[in-house]
Amino acid sequence: MLGLERRSDVPAWIYVAVPVIAVLLALAVGAVFLVFTGHDPLTVYRVMIQASFASTFGFADTLVSATPLILTGLAALVSFRVKLWNIGAEGQLYIGAVCASGIALLIGESLPGWANILMMLAAGAFGGMLFILIPAIARAWLRTNEIITTLLLNSVALLFINWLIFGSRSFWRDPAAGQFPQGLRIPDEAYFPRWGATRVHLGLVIALLAVVAIWFVLNRTRFGFRMKILGDSESAARYAGVPVRLMVVAVLLLSGALAGLAGAADVGGFSRRLDPNSLAIGMGYAGIIVAALSRLNPGSVILVAIMLGGVRNAGTALQSLPERVPMEIAVMLEGAILLFALGSEVLVRYRIHWPWSKGPALDASPEEAEAT
Amino acid sequence: MRRLTRYVALLAVGGLLLVACEADEPEDVVDPDEVEEPDEVEEPEEEPEEEPEEAEEPDDVPWAGYEGGEDGVLRVAYVYVGPVGDAGWTYSHDQGRQALEEAMGDQVETTYLESVEEGAPAERVFEDLAREGYHLIFGTSFGFMDSMAAVAPDFPETVFEHASGYTKLDNMGNYFGAMEEPRYLSGMAAASVSETGQLGYVAAFPIPEVIRGINAFALGAQEVDPDATVEVVWTSTWFGPEIELEAAESLLDRGVDVLAQHQDTPAPGQAAEERDAHWVGYHSDMSEFAADAWLTAPVWDWTDYYVETAEMVWDGTWEPREVYASMADGMVQLADYGPAVDDDTQAMVDDRAQDIIDGTFAPFTGPLYDQDGELRVEEDVEMTLEELLNMEWFVEGVIGEPGE
Repeated sequence: MLGLERRSDVPAWIYVAVPVIAVLLALAVGAVFLVFTGHDPLTVYRVMIQASFASTFGFADTLVSATPLILTGLAALVSFRVKLWNIGAEGQLYIGAVCASGIALLIGESLPGWANILMMLAAGAFGGMLFILIPAIARAWLRTNEIITTLLLNSVALLFINWLIFGSRSFWRDPAAGQFPQGLRIPDEAYFPRWGATRVHLGLVIALLAVVAIWFVLNRTRFGFRMKILGDSESAARYAGVPVRLMVVAVLLLSGALAGLAGAADVGGFSRRLDPNSLAIGMGYAGIIVAALSRLNPGSVILVAIMLGGVRNAGTALQSLPERVPMEIAVMLEGAILLFALGSEVLVRYRIHWPWSKGPALDASPEEAEAT
Repeated sequence: MRRLTRYVALLAVGGLLLVACEADEPEDVVDPDEVEEPDEVEEPEEEPEEEPEEAEEPDDVPWAGYEGGEDGVLRVAYVYVGPVGDAGWTYSHDQGRQALEEAMGDQVETTYLESVEEGAPAERVFEDLAREGYHLIFGTSFGFMDSMAAVAPDFPETVFEHASGYTKLDNMGNYFGAMEEPRYLSGMAAASVSETGQLGYVAAFPIPEVIRGINAFALGAQEVDPDATVEVVWTSTWFGPEIELEAAESLLDRGVDVLAQHQDTPAPGQAAEERDAHWVGYHSDMSEFAADAWLTAPVWDWTDYYVETAEMVWDGTWEPREVYASMADGMVQLADYGPAVDDDTQAMVDDRAQDIIDGTFAPFTGPLYDQDGELRVEEDVEMTLEELLNMEWFVEGVIGEPGE
């Protein structure tokens, strides 16, 4: 009978092979779709790689797109590690952007640029934390489902930033933009430095530092150790004397802060104003995908974010092909990659038991298998 | 873009579910691998020159001019905010692009990018086009303005033309049209057909451009029927067929019998058609979507502007302009009438159109009163362009708030 059996030990190569195969399979499925819609998959993929990875400027823009994804990926990772499901990175990112742009506008030119930038980063993280505070407390003390609260707050945040820019004469809106509402530009001093002539900005450095910091917290601190225990079993954690409620709040706040930083990075490095159009492109939701594909490894988050950033950026390049491949193909590929990567996770942990292979059948755990 | 967000959200939920399922396994916690130090940061860019970015004001490099290209072909790119199939704003620009190809034949080669995100994400798109060697790049949404202005100084040999904005640089001009003129005429047609005198307006965002259009429509209607009212519903969309349909239906529910609109879709027309009401479209001739309801529409015709601009670039005579073109220029027009507009009405509206084209009539001429009955513009005084571009109040007879 065909079935799955748990691997007793997972060979190292499989951690690399499975994701690679998953991406290849996703590309294969995408190819079938492309062929049926009358496009040449090889050309399409070549153009995508060319546009996003093979040219200096293309790759630079891929890094720009990857920057917020690294941070929102970390935000999801931190909470998922302890089986808390913060789906609200999207909203926390918006509010982080609101706070970061607000502080930059408040400070104006009264402080040197570096001080302004530091304040923006702090404000961004603070905004993200603020916005997850209520779900965190509700989860810790009332056991309210944080998936629902954080998810619903995303809509609140979206409506809020739209109202700030399009619906009111708020502090964030440019009073001079009479013809079409838009955010007020932050002062030049508060712009994040950029790398040469590219748009790669300080946010990337911050994101990479955040990766290192999160890795350190998870692996080298008591807090990280407690997270590990809590992630394994809440009752065990309680038994071991871990202050579970405080841990829940702290982890969610950390998650919110990371998402808020992504918002600050957008304001300082990319949009340079509170811009709902450039914020509301699903970077927070994509962070969930990044965390899932990275198998909750901080280091892998970087690679996954760069890959997804590249896939997304390739969308417009496809339109330059004479036969105009719809840019939605990029979104479709993103979905296919996710699906295969997650599906193949099973193969990391289990091996397929073919009907014709010998030995004990499925579902038997290794110990049981030995016993029989 | 909302659509994209929705897809991503769906994907994310899928991902979450899978992670959640996996996480239930008592996992032998894989020790998180060493952080790979990202060498990517160091990579891009050999020359760390001080980049001349974000110049709001013209820098000192004058526009260098088109030099014939390698193959003697002028390469023209269009960047659209919506899909070319929107039947509205973007469609009208793409008609202009096609007309340009027809007019200049082998001299030009055009391309377009559709559904490009506004704001900072567009910067990349404009830069890529400039780097690919397009000589003339049109960006047709207000939200592209700052991106174009950020990129333009780096490519002094490329001409940037931006629709609906106000930034002018050495190699960037802007253009727009006096849509209030045909708007006014469409209001006349609407009031002539209306039996109740209650007109409805499916409005986009409460900004001067939209408010100006509503006022022009109301003033035109009131020329025919001084008691005509215009009820306004805001949708906060430029392209959102479902919301626009709902807004149209809510107006029809309130007894409105002619609808006008500002968005890019024919959805209000379809709502009107279903209720045997009438409809004034926008942007392009949308009559095919609701032929019985169709009255007419204020429409764009970008052909002349695009051909003229491309020829100037070709000749090397181009220089940055700020164009606000009128019916006399042909950039804004009134579309063909539908069967519901009788001959007398057509003749009356056409006369008025001629006055506008001749310059003997301007829609926004006093006395003009606001919603509170306060005199805003004195008798025989014409509102200035400046005032029109910043109009934030509704004229008498408009029902609704000029803001949210």
